[in-house]
Amino acid sequence: MPGPRLIAAYLTELSAELPGRIVDELADGLDETYRRYLRQGLDPEAAARAAVAEFGEPRVIVAAFTDASRSRRTARRLLAAGPLVGICWAVVLISARAWTWPIPAVARVLFGAALITVIGLLAAAALGRHYRQVCRAAAAACVGTAILDTTMACTVLAIAPALVWPAAVAVILSAGRSGFALRNVHPALTG
Amino acid sequence: MRAEELKGHLDALLLAALEDGPRHGYAVMEALRQSTGGRLDLPTGTIYPALHRLETAGLIAGSWSVVAGRRRRLYQLTAAGAGALLGKRAAWRDFAAMMSAALEGRPCPDPA
Repeated sequence: MPGPRLIAAYLTELSAELPGRIVDELADGLDETYRRYLRQGLDPEAAARAAVAEFGEPRVIVAAFTDASRSRRTARRLLAAGPLVGICWAVVLISARAWTWPIPAVARVLFGAALITVIGLLAAAALGRHYRQVCRAAAAACVGTAILDTTMACTVLAIAPALVWPAAVAVILSAGRSGFALRNVHPALTG
Repeated sequence: MRAEELKGHLDALLLAALEDGPRHGYAVMEALRQSTGGRLDLPTGTIYPALHRLETAGLIAGSWSVVAGRRRRLYQLTAAGAGALLGKRAAWRDFAAMMSAALEGRPCPDPA
């Protein structure tokens, strides 16, 4: 039957971008729409065309699901928190003259590269249009954020434990952000 | 009414459509069509992501069931969603009264 074939092709296009549970839900609604048009007297092909047209373009639906995903919301929250946590750590590092610390250049470069990578992943998750890529980027960014926060806190506490109040504020903020990021790894990965 | 004109009001419409009891996505769209006299011109597929967003926000709760061999997701209002609907209704009444006063010269009621 040409009608259901058109619907199957439409769902296949959605399946390429969206998880199975979402496609199942859309398939149920699309089938109800298709049956309504059949009850109104349309032949199967016309009913399928009308149902698919009523549902809207797959790219519009995928973009709407991507915008509504927990992955995107998590990435936006982490991006919003970034400047505040970053400024706190900057105050700590400048106060402690961190450039004089006995940390190998390779370690400094690796940390900087990791920081840039995490920011890039967060930007991709906050702005990307492909559902699965956004989910993967957000989950990876959550893990990266927790690793960076932990590395920074451990390093500062080990090398400059005397920096009490600025480091305490930065550590508390980083711990809160790490906890949020780790709690959201799985939700971000599943969208 | 087209999708762009509904921006900012879709959440209230979806919450209102779930006020009478649990519904699945297609039934929500049908309820909106009936309540708006068929004037709602919105791609049905975009209702579903909006429902997911409301679920993530804790305003509705979704659960799976199986109907005629197909998986179906039902949504119902949470207590937070019912509260949000009350707030959105009050905000809409204020907005509508203000616009009527400005566009049609009706007296604007004092804010409660």
